Amino acid sequence: MSQSLRPYLQAVRSSLTAALCLSNFASQTAERHNVPEVEARTSPEVLLTPLTIARNENERVLIEPSINSIRISIKIKQADEIEHILVHKFTRFLTQRAESFFILRRKPIKGYDISFLITNFHTEEMLKHKLVDFIIQFMEEVDKEISEMKLFLNARARFVAESFLTPFD
Amino acid sequence: MSIIQQHTQATLSDAWRTINIDALTEDSSVNFDVSTLHPPLPEISEADARAINGQVRQLLRGGDAEGALRGCLEMPVYNGSEAAKETHLHTVIEVLQSIKASEMTPMLQRIFAQQGGSECLDVLMKYLYKGMAATSSSSSSAADGSGRATPARAMTPQATGGFSQVGQRPMASNESTGSAMSVLLSWHEKVVEVAGLGCIGRVMTDFRRV
Repeated sequence: MSQSLRPYLQAVRSSLTAALCLSNFASQTAERHNVPEVEARTSPEVLLTPLTIARNENERVLIEPSINSIRISIKIKQADEIEHILVHKFTRFLTQRAESFFILRRKPIKGYDISFLITNFHTEEMLKHKLVDFIIQFMEEVDKEISEMKLFLNARARFVAESFLTPFD
Repeated sequence: MSIIQQHTQATLSDAWRTINIDALTEDSSVNFDVSTLHPPLPEISEADARAINGQVRQLLRGGDAEGALRGCLEMPVYNGSEAAKETHLHTVIEVLQSIKASEMTPMLQRIFAQQGGSECLDVLMKYLYKGMAATSSSSSSAADGSGRATPARAMTPQATGGFSQVGQRPMASNESTGSAMSVLLSWHEKVVEVAGLGCIGRVMTDFRRV
C-alpha cells in the first residue's frame, strides 16, 4: 500500500467507527414514519457535523452523520478522462444493482462518485466492524480495479490498432 | 358557477407542490433553533484572529511549538465571520506543518495530560476536518478554472486534444495540496491514538462549529 494511502484509510476507518453509532429515531414531522434523518433533513438538531477526509483534491470522503443514519460519499481518484469514463461506468454498474448491496445509495450526492447510506436498521442486522471493513475494502479495491481496467483498455486498444493497420503494412 | 372556471395559469401549475409548508409552521421541527444547543459564544473578529496569528507566529519563531499549538487551540473561532474562521484555520495549519513528525505524539500526550487538554485535542480534531474540507474544495475550484478534466469538461474531449494523458495529469498542482493533506492525515492518526475515538464523536456532536 502506498505511503499516503494508509493514513487516509486509517482516518476514514476511525471516523466511520465513531460515526456508526445509530439509534432508532422516528420522524418528528410525520407520524408513524421512520426516515433516515440525513436524507429527510427535517430536524436540524439531529444532523451532526459532517466530516471530510481528503487525501488530495481528487480523492475525498464525506461522512454525514445523523441520529439514525449516516451517509458516506466517496470521490474516486480520476487522473485523466479514461479514468473518468471508467469510474462513471463502474459506479453506474454498481448503483443499478443497489438492492443487492443493501447500503448503496442509488444516486451519489453532488461532487462525489458513489454514496452509501447506512441506517440503524442496517447496523441492527449487520456487524458494525464488518460494515466499516466493507467500505474500506471497497475504497482499496476500486482504485486497483480502475487502474487494472485502464491497463486492459490500453492493451486492447493497442491490439485493435495493430490488427486494423496490418493490411496497410 | 363551476370551480374549474376560476383556474388561472398560476393555480394550474404544480409549483405549489414544492413549497415546504413545514418551514412556514412555527413549531415544526424544521424550525428548531440550533443555537440553543450551545452556550452563547463570544464573537471573535478578523482582527482578533490576526492578533492570535501574530502571537502564535512569535511563539513559533521562539521555538515554542507546543505553546503555539496550545495557544491557537485554546482560542477557537466558533462565533465569527468567515474571514476570521479562515484566518484561524490558516494559523492552526501553519503550526501543524511546522512541527516535526517525530514530535507529534509526545507533544499531544503532554497537551492531553494538562488541564483542559482533552478539549484542546477536540478543537484540534475540528480543525483537522475543517482543514481537509477547506483545502479540497478551494483547490478543486481553482483547478476547475485552470481547465482540468471536470465532468462538464469531459463532455467535450476535442477541446482538450483527445485522450492525451500527458497534459491532463493535475499532479503538478496536486503536489502541494497532497503534502498538506498528508500532514493533516498523520496528525489525525496521532490525535486518535492519544485521545481515542471519543474525540471524533465529540467533533460530530458538538454544535459549536469552527
